[in-house]
Amino acid sequence: MTATTLTDAPTEPGLDPDAGKLGMWVFLASELLFFGGLFAAYLYGRSHLPAGWAEGSRHTDVLLGTVNTAVLLTSSAAVALAVACEEEPRRRRWTARLLALTAALGVAFLVLKGLEWHAEWREHLVPGPAFALHVAGAQQFFALYFVMTGLHGVHMVGGIAALALLARGRSHRRAWASARHVEAAALYWHFVDVVWIFLYPLLYLVSRHG
Amino acid sequence: MADERLDEAGFARAARAGFARERRTIGFAWIALLVLMLASLGSAYLKLGPWNMAAGLVIAGIKAAIVAWLFMRLRDAGTLIRLAAVAGLGAWCLLVALGGIDYATRTQTPSPVQRPQQLLPAQAASEPG
Repeated sequence: MTATTLTDAPTEPGLDPDAGKLGMWVFLASELLFFGGLFAAYLYGRSHLPAGWAEGSRHTDVLLGTVNTAVLLTSSAAVALAVACEEEPRRRRWTARLLALTAALGVAFLVLKGLEWHAEWREHLVPGPAFALHVAGAQQFFALYFVMTGLHGVHMVGGIAALALLARGRSHRRAWASARHVEAAALYWHFVDVVWIFLYPLLYLVSRHG
Repeated sequence: MADERLDEAGFARAARAGFARERRTIGFAWIALLVLMLASLGSAYLKLGPWNMAAGLVIAGIKAAIVAWLFMRLRDAGTLIRLAAVAGLGAWCLLVALGGIDYATRTQTPSPVQRPQQLLPAQAASEPG
């Protein structure tokens, strides 16, 4: 079963069934450049301030970071399954449940991230006069850490809202919760997952053996 | 009429087979992603020098490719959609490459990866006499 079958579902007259997907991919390309500037800043800091980057990364919570990575990868699989269910008439009732599961996993991710931020606040790892680490570059590392994970969190909130809305719309058989919209929301969610896939080794796994 | 019923039955069978295949693919991809995540975590605790970062990024690249190819269905997408996906990545590579040319060749705030002989002309110029 290919994606073409999904888009064979009734759409607005005169609208190319692939238009929604293409629009979302173009949007995601612009989002990649949005995050891309931060990744470029990270590479600069990593190459110019390696000691500070290593010290900063060793103070992140690798256990919570790993658990959150597993949660996000699982949520991506769940939303991919929701799109697959949409294409098989006998499985369509599962679409709403899987969308709701994906949104719930997203909420779990944000709760764990919130706990992590809270612990970092208490350990004086937020850049400022009381910053706990005294290695050059460690403060810049944590500044970038909070900007990158914060921006990622904002994108998560948008994705969770879209998925929860679609799950509710599907369960109430609303016309606007169409297959095209489910697929577009799933693409967005996968992108948020891909951003985290790169954040995980860059923020949590620098010089762990040291 | 009978032909139409046969077509409907055939379509339903194809949809069921397609779903079973897709479910299997998603399951395998999910397991592969979790195994790669653990490999990435494990490699960070090995003393590999600069290869630690390389290992982390290569594994992240493989994971991202699995998500893009199988979950985001680039394998089934048309040329236009694949082009849109690659365009963003290409533009980012240009951004990093052009920015990197500047930062990797600076003599005033050098990076540890820059060779000493690269910085000699600037040091000679700053010395009096």
